[in-house]
Amino acid sequence: MKLNKLPTLTWNFLKLNDAVLDEKITLNGRGKSVIRNIPNGVIVGNGGCDNCGICDPSTLEDIRKLKTGLGDEADSFFESVCDGSLTIRAKRDIKVEEPLCINYELADGDKNAVKQEIIAEEGSSITVIMDYSSKRSDSGFFAVQTKLKAEKGAKIRLVKIELLGRGFTGMDGIAAQAGEDAEIELIQMELGCGKNYVGVDIELDGKRSSFTGNTGYLCINGQKLDMNYYIGHTGKKSVSSLNVTGALRDGSCKNFRGTIDLKHGAKGAKGDEQESALLLSDNVINKTLPIILCDEDDVEGSHGATIGRLSQDVLFYMQSRGFSEHEAEVLMTRAQLNSVRGMIGDEKSVGAISQYLEEAFE
Amino acid sequence: MRERSEVNDIDRSAYDFKDSEEGFYRIKEGLTRQIVEQISEEKHDPEWMRQFRLRSLDIYNELKVTDWGPDISGLNMDDIVTYVRPNTKMSAKWEEVPEDIKNTFERLGIPQAERESLAGVGAQYDSELVYHNVKDEVSKTGVIYTDMESALTGEYADMVKDHFMKLVPPTDHKFAALHGAVWSGGSFVYVPPGVKLDIPLQSYFRLNAAGAGQFEHTLIIVSEGADLHFIEGCSAPKYNVANLHAGCVELYVGKNARLRYSTIENWSKNMYNLNTKRALCEDGATIEWISGSFGSHVSYLYPSSVLKGKGSHAEFTGITFAGKGQNLDTGAKMIHIGEDTSSFINTKSISKDGGISTYRSSVTVNEKAKNAKASVSCASLMLDDISRSDTVPAMDIRTGQCDIGHEAKIGRISDDAVFYLMSRGISEEDAKAMIVSGFADPVSKELPLEYAVEMNNLIRLEMKGAIG
Repeated sequence: MKLNKLPTLTWNFLKLNDAVLDEKITLNGRGKSVIRNIPNGVIVGNGGCDNCGICDPSTLEDIRKLKTGLGDEADSFFESVCDGSLTIRAKRDIKVEEPLCINYELADGDKNAVKQEIIAEEGSSITVIMDYSSKRSDSGFFAVQTKLKAEKGAKIRLVKIELLGRGFTGMDGIAAQAGEDAEIELIQMELGCGKNYVGVDIELDGKRSSFTGNTGYLCINGQKLDMNYYIGHTGKKSVSSLNVTGALRDGSCKNFRGTIDLKHGAKGAKGDEQESALLLSDNVINKTLPIILCDEDDVEGSHGATIGRLSQDVLFYMQSRGFSEHEAEVLMTRAQLNSVRGMIGDEKSVGAISQYLEEAFE
Repeated sequence: MRERSEVNDIDRSAYDFKDSEEGFYRIKEGLTRQIVEQISEEKHDPEWMRQFRLRSLDIYNELKVTDWGPDISGLNMDDIVTYVRPNTKMSAKWEEVPEDIKNTFERLGIPQAERESLAGVGAQYDSELVYHNVKDEVSKTGVIYTDMESALTGEYADMVKDHFMKLVPPTDHKFAALHGAVWSGGSFVYVPPGVKLDIPLQSYFRLNAAGAGQFEHTLIIVSEGADLHFIEGCSAPKYNVANLHAGCVELYVGKNARLRYSTIENWSKNMYNLNTKRALCEDGATIEWISGSFGSHVSYLYPSSVLKGKGSHAEFTGITFAGKGQNLDTGAKMIHIGEDTSSFINTKSISKDGGISTYRSSVTVNEKAKNAKASVSCASLMLDDISRSDTVPAMDIRTGQCDIGHEAKIGRISDDAVFYLMSRGISEEDAKAMIVSGFADPVSKELPLEYAVEMNNLIRLEMKGAIG
């Protein structure tokens, strides 16, 4: 299966135009979700939602047309293997402070694929925290597709925490559409899985719509992480900001593709993406491709990347304070990931991440 | 509603004039084994080169056109004449060059530049060099600057054979293979160890014939501790049929040597510019690319620096101006192989009047390139809302012991900057002209004065009204 295809191709020798998932996938349907903290004003429909009557059919039709950053082949895969989807809807003008939490606890051998839809109706606001976890030694396959639609003036805050075992292969496809004055915030911690494919497609269609993305990752002991972010600006004065930060160590490999597409007519739009990759050992592979496509003059697009070892100045300072080089690296990696972890705002999730990182650095 | 301004298109009248092809030898259109053999025969190739051409043709036929980059479906090789020889032989005296050809180069300012500021000049007209000369004092230092054909059979034949298309093999891509099959003309430069040339050498390539291709090969070997500045210029008149430029530049920079390679590319807007340039740097060597891309209908141009030697260094400074009907895909490649290598890319691009400018680059740091440092900075300026500007910069880093940085910006002229300048008594038009000139400044200041002037003339930023 070809995943994470770039919206515009470049040299084939870079092997970044797409990623290939070459393992045969046979699902067993194990690995179900537990939902907690369903706030008032939020409706959750589970499975075969078309018949549950909680959503406007036209809204469902719109959201299902959205494409994830994983690409067409992955989207077709989800269509073919998932019976229905988990639908979460925040009613009009309902603003929810407390997060709704969905926990997928997986076990060794679990192989599952799920679809989720989150709709924030006009003027509403919702936070959803999704975490996927298993024991460190577990193997399996877990694919999740999440589609978001934030209607006029609405806000969706989605937090994804992936803590699956090193034998897992993960696929995480996200598609989002923001209407006028709507906001989408995405926080991701990609820490587990031996092979992990993340594809995000954000469509800022509405005037003054916005997207803020913060992703933290850690790739150690041969983990492979392949990321593809696409942010399409159609709406006038739409604003996007994407920050991806993390570390690689011990034979691990990470690809980051990030595209800001400033489309014709998106007057006043601004897009920015930043990447910071800390390389902690010699045998790592880090590929970065930050793209800006610009078909409009009255826009601002920018990107930056910093890739490499720990700054010699920082290392010297830490060593002068009694830290060994390894301790300094661990400390700085934690600091980098904490910049994302600190945004989550849910104690249980933050605790799970801290515990995962403790074990990772043992 | 703010008034829009205009940045005038490049004034091409200085380049857009044509000469008669009467008496010229023109090979049949297309690309066949027979045509390749005929070119080889016309050029009196040694046998190895004849075989090389035929092998390259086979590779060309096997390779596919790239699936990325600008569309080149308008280029039909069956319509392209791969070899056009003017009715003259190469001379070292301008007086011996036929009057119309000499006038062409006079209008382009080449003889004047030679008199005033160059150590040697090569002038190619269609497929062959018509003039080649190097100053006596330069010859006395042992510097060899000659046409490729003479080098192929002369005293340096073995050196040419050892280096020709070794850095850019015909298997590199389809148009490198095409070059290998039909190349003609170009320059060979050899700078002996320790020789430092204070003034530059220049080759100028003029493609006059309609529907023709130019496939010159430039091979430069700068030996240990030597220093050279080489300038390449090119232009062509505009025709209604497609022309093709698929040149090849191979630069070998020896231990602790330095080479600066400057190019002002000003092909006509019917030209498909599919050029390949590559430099190999030994220990402590430095390659500096200065590149101005103004012409062509379609361009694929990414000078590559292979930093093989320990402590070698590469810099690429480039500007691309894409106007009406142009799709210019330009950038650079940096390949870090040796320890303590460093590279710096600094590019500017301007898009106007429906032009498409794409900045494309790659920085590759291999496992053994410990302590590599690389920095990439690219900025794009959009002058109207019917143009397009994309940036596609890739980084492939395979060692932890490195420091890599990248930054890019796309936007239009800042209203705040214009307002500030106007508040200091500068007119709006002048303010905008000043800002755009400043945007191009990092490139123009790297060029020799006369080329900086040419570049500024090419941009010709005559502002009217307000951009916005």
